Amino acid sequence: MLRQIKPKNARSKRALAKQEPLDVENPKTTLLLRGTSSSSLVNDLLADLHSLKRPHSIKFTKKNDIHPFEDASSLEFFSQKNDASLIVFGNNSKKRPHTLTFIRCFSGTVLDMLELHVVQETARTLQQFRGEKCKVGVKPLLSFSGVQFESPTPNAYTQAKNLFTDFFRGQETTSVDVEGLQLLISFFAGEDGADGQKAQIQMRCWRIITKRSGQKLPRVEVEEMGPRIDFRVGRVKEAEEGMWKESLKKAKGTEPRVKKNVETDIVGDKVGRIHLGRQDLSELQTRKMKGLKRGRDTDGEENMLELEDVISQDEDEEEDGGLELKRQKIA
Amino acid sequence: MATETVMEDLKITPIMVSTPAASATKADKSSVTVSKPIPHTYDLGNLLLIDANPLPPSPTPALLATTARECAQSLLNQLLLTCPITSHPTSGVLMTLPPPTTPIPREKPLPAKREETKWEKFAKKKGIKDKKRGEGKMVFDEASGEWVPRWGYKGRNKSGEGEWIVEVDEKKERERESEGKTERGEGRRERMEKVRRNERKQRNNERKTRKTGVGG
Repeated sequence: MLRQIKPKNARSKRALAKQEPLDVENPKTTLLLRGTSSSSLVNDLLADLHSLKRPHSIKFTKKNDIHPFEDASSLEFFSQKNDASLIVFGNNSKKRPHTLTFIRCFSGTVLDMLELHVVQETARTLQQFRGEKCKVGVKPLLSFSGVQFESPTPNAYTQAKNLFTDFFRGQETTSVDVEGLQLLISFFAGEDGADGQKAQIQMRCWRIITKRSGQKLPRVEVEEMGPRIDFRVGRVKEAEEGMWKESLKKAKGTEPRVKKNVETDIVGDKVGRIHLGRQDLSELQTRKMKGLKRGRDTDGEENMLELEDVISQDEDEEEDGGLELKRQKIA
Repeated sequence: MATETVMEDLKITPIMVSTPAASATKADKSSVTVSKPIPHTYDLGNLLLIDANPLPPSPTPALLATTARECAQSLLNQLLLTCPITSHPTSGVLMTLPPPTTPIPREKPLPAKREETKWEKFAKKKGIKDKKRGEGKMVFDEASGEWVPRWGYKGRNKSGEGEWIVEVDEKKERERESEGKTERGEGRRERMEKVRRNERKQRNNERKTRKTGVGG
């Protein structure tokens, strides 16, 4: 654990204030670490991840004697010290060759971990691909293909999906520059093999090229940009339920207001219910009768009663009744 | 590049026609629509697309390339069709995104509520409200139909002080005469007495806190 520091001057006070929790958070910082015996492949891939994640990334080059699944205390120390909540730890051993461990932290403690072994034969670094690379710091488009990512029960693949979304999505924004939509990071997971071998998670990075199609929408082409990594899933540490719940809390007032009375029906049409205001029944048009003309209402109630009587008496001779009434009014 | 190699295969082996990559004809090459057995789902706030269509156990590079292209096309189509786009002279063409829907854990817990100060606690207990911000300085005067200040210049607490004719209680007036005062200025005298009493209390409170070291 870090010792609690009481700031003694304005500069350290500002630095500490920057690390305080926020309602709407800044993008998570990623820390890239290597173990005592990491291979050159792992080192190269860490460098590639660093270049994909810039500027929200810190890369350390010294060796660290850490075993994330045995003791994560030094990872937590690094997380707190660097204010980084995403850590990638690369290592290589005979038992676990070319391993990248993705670690997420919540308030300085490990939330969940996912160990992924890189398949050496298929791995290609960013440098091994020719052609143009996309700009630094663009918000990537993400895609997850395969049924494994959509499993109803949480497993390593659904965790990987959430983790990679968290890892690559960058800054949470309300608007994005259309020009900047030039990087696609896609993840694929096939079905499990017939020999019981677990499916690999295949990560591919593409540069998006848009072409005129003659229609309003452009024709999109992709060109592989690298890195290309195939992962075999290793050990998994799932998040504790309480901690996970705590980490998903949102500040009051940040959620969008629920739109009331607007629904989408099965066909996909938007259906709304509108308040029309109270209907004025006094203006209602009922059956027209000469005897009920508005001009006569002013005479008072007695007259009204008489009117009704007269009407009911000789309904057949409405004309006559009307005339009679007219005379009455004059009298 | 991978797609091109498969296209070459197509010319040699007609069996390859059934694979999606190889079936790309000229018309298909400029198509902007994507149709899948299971339609894609989106989280546009994160620029995320989920494609739940099954892939074979070990997909070929060509299949991955076509799938990725379809994903990119589909996601860009969805973005361009549903998100409002505005152009600025300085910052370029901006696309407004909806809020993200995927639950992503926070980095740190929600900020704790600011602790109440000693005075705020005491005021809450006693039911004291801020005169200026709580009630407001102005009050509506029904008689004149205007808003007047509660205190200060032309304040309401001075109403009736400038009356040119006042009713006098004879008994009290006699008492006042003995002190050398009249009904005139009685309102102001009462008002000033209130102020003095409040100041006295304030001083007392200050003295008490200094002695015991406990405020509020």
